[in-house]
Formats: sequence, structure tokens, C-alpha cells
Amino acid sequence: MAEVLSPLKSKCVAGHHGASEKSGLKMGTRALSGLWQIAGWDDFESAAQPVLSSLGLKDGGTFRIAQHADGATAWRIAPDRILIETADPNLENAPELMKLDLSHARSVITLEGPSSRDLLSQLVAIDVTPMAFKPGEFFQTGIHHVGVLIHCLNSDRFDILVPGTWASSVWEALYENALPHGVETLEVA
Amino acid sequence: MIRINCPVCGLRNETEFTYGADATVSRPAMDENEMKPWLDYVFNRTNPRGWHKEYWHHVQGCRQWLVLERNTLTHEIGACELAREVTE
Repeated sequence: MAEVLSPLKSKCVAGHHGASEKSGLKMGTRALSGLWQIAGWDDFESAAQPVLSSLGLKDGGTFRIAQHADGATAWRIAPDRILIETADPNLENAPELMKLDLSHARSVITLEGPSSRDLLSQLVAIDVTPMAFKPGEFFQTGIHHVGVLIHCLNSDRFDILVPGTWASSVWEALYENALPHGVETLEVA
Repeated sequence: MIRINCPVCGLRNETEFTYGADATVSRPAMDENEMKPWLDYVFNRTNPRGWHKEYWHHVQGCRQWLVLERNTLTHEIGACELAREVTE
């Protein structure tokens, strides 16, 4: 069976780049435990509730704040669509939902460090200052004309979910803009 | 620069959106046999000076279709709703 490789495998080589006297941020990737999109129609809320409950999630959350439970994260990406990262989606009990396995269709670029927000502010037309973009919040926007989802994990740590086919391009846009800050690239785990 | 208040994502830059179509046009009934209503529907548009309703797609966001009021003279943006929630 073919081994599934990250499209960022060739990018994630350990090293320090750019401004030599500082390391403003670290860039890397991580494997998704499993990524599913559930979608529905007018009765989406009631149809999705059994799935969310089985994952320990209270509800689908808001368009701004991700929901967390043990082993699962949910992002409400549209009125009738939720993105769920989990290894075990347990979707059999939701016949009314459309389920789409995106586990190999998205890559995650991880950003960490004191210059992370500075880098993001260079590339997205959204206020990413700590007061406006707090831990637990997310937004969907574009980087390098590619639709991405940016999730704030803590004050200076972010996950960026990127379509796998564009992951390399988005990485390069981030990397080029990160060089003046000093960037450490992390080996694929 | 146009900024659009998406009902799902909030206030966003125009660069995240793409223009779709004139939102004031209605398709004739499928049993319409006259040529003119279909001709108008497919080809003929008014060119208003002032407020106008348009379809926009939040392509780099929630990917929802929106109905947006835009002033063609000033580029001022008015009400913005999800297209699915707009009744004729």
C-alpha cells in the first residue's frame, strides 16, 4: 500500500533561516488525526447533534470559536457545515448528513513564536492582534489567494489548515515573509 | 477599498470575495414560451447609477453566496444577507 506523505515533507527540514541573530518563529507541520466535514440541510442542527455528542462536543460552536473535547476539535465553517478533526468520527448514526473525509485533502502548517502574529498580519487582511484574535478562535481567510483556516491555539501559536494541493505554495509565502524575523523550520514528526 | 460584512465571517476585505451576478434578475417560469422574457433574463441588464443588489461569493471564507447592496456610484456597501435567506 502506498505510504501517504505530507506535501510539506520536502519543506520541513530542520534548520535556521533568515535573520541570523534572532529566531522570531518556528514553522512546521503536523499530521491530522483525521478530518471530516459534515454538512446538511434545513435540519442540520438536529442531524449533527448526535455526532457532536458522541465526540463529547456540546454543539457545533460559533463561526468564530472552535469547540474542543478529548480527541476532537470542531470548527463551524458555515451555517450548515462543520469541520471535525478526530481519529474516530463515528458517523454511522447520522444518515441525514453528508460526510466528507478530508484527512488527506488538508495539510497543517504550524506557526509558533513571538513573531507569529507579525507574520500573519503581513499576509491576511484581518486584525490578528492579541485583543482581536484570541486563543480558541479561528477564522477562514486567504493567504496567497488560497483559502485557509487559521486557528489560534495560544498567544503565539497557530495552526493553519491548507488545501493539500496548495500547501507548498502557502508554505513558501509564509516562509519568504518569515525570513526577516528569523525562522526555524522543524523536521516532520 | 470595499469591505463586506459577511453574515458568517464578519467584516472582510473585498479580496476574499468574487462578484457573481445581478441579484435583481429573476428567471422566467419554465413554461414561459415568449422569447422576450428569456432574452431579457439571459442578456439584458439595467445599468443603475446608485444602489444595486448583487450576488457575491465569499470564496476565501465561508464559501456562502451573499446578496449585497452596493452603490455603483460610490462603492458604498449596504445590507448583506445570505442568498439562501433572501426571499423574492
